[in-house]
Amino acid sequence: MTLDAILDGTAAVFMVIGGLMSLAAGIGLLRFPDLHSRMHAATKPQVLGLLMLVLAASIMWRNWHWVPIALLAWGLMILTAPVSAHVVGRAGYRTKHMRADLLADDELASAVDRLSQPGGVRREIKDE
Amino acid sequence: MLDYAYWITQVLLAIGVMCSIYRVYKGPSVLDRVISVDVILIIVGSVMLVDMIYHRHTDHILFVVVTAVIGFLGAVAIARYVAVREPGTEEGHRHAQAIGGGRAPEPETPASASGLAAANSGRSAAGQLEDESTSWFADLARSGFVPKRKNDDESTGQGSGGGGRA
Repeated sequence: MTLDAILDGTAAVFMVIGGLMSLAAGIGLLRFPDLHSRMHAATKPQVLGLLMLVLAASIMWRNWHWVPIALLAWGLMILTAPVSAHVVGRAGYRTKHMRADLLADDELASAVDRLSQPGGVRREIKDE
Repeated sequence: MLDYAYWITQVLLAIGVMCSIYRVYKGPSVLDRVISVDVILIIVGSVMLVDMIYHRHTDHILFVVVTAVIGFLGAVAIARYVAVREPGTEEGHRHAQAIGGGRAPEPETPASASGLAAANSGRSAAGQLEDESTSWFADLARSGFVPKRKNDDESTGQGSGGGGRA
């Protein structure tokens, strides 16, 4: 077995793993019952899938010229996917696009209650 | 072997796109559709990457970079739009009420207490979803308005002719 065959097989395995990650994102979007769980499924697995595809592409190109650009694409994805997930989850929490019966623990509700007390914010401002 | 991997990956990506398209069609809120469109965009970038892997060219790599950036911008913009627009009208109503009724300092505290009690009762009852959501944000917004109102009262108190003005 030559080196080229080994590299091709590795790239093929990485490519199929990347496809499975995107399929996991799609099935999570299809099957999950809630906005926040869908948001988890939509933003987490395909970043790893894109990493797998970038590695497979870097293996198949056999040179280093385009590897920084490909890693830049993946770096942008892993930098921006948490931001979009956070913003979507925040908007979903504020506009009540969630099912409260599915939550095991709502930790933000205590902070909201504390802020909505009449003297909650005023005390903090006096301390400054 | 690479041929089989290529077709298997394309079929898997196609099934993922179909699931996302069904969620765009069925999604109950605009946020579901936003994240589904984001997933579709990333899968399109993945398809371009798979094509580059199979045919060993680097033509589409800049499209993959642009795809990553554009999906992020769309999700953030639409999520900000959803988050600001609906409670913003409620905040405007609350602000108008605070301006209209804020001259006498005494009715503020019972009003806020009754509002809080209404919020708690609405949260416990959970019968009216509209009242629950709006009162939740109204409480948060009113807590943000408290320092301004306090400064306003202090300025009228310092002026000591504020009684005449009121």
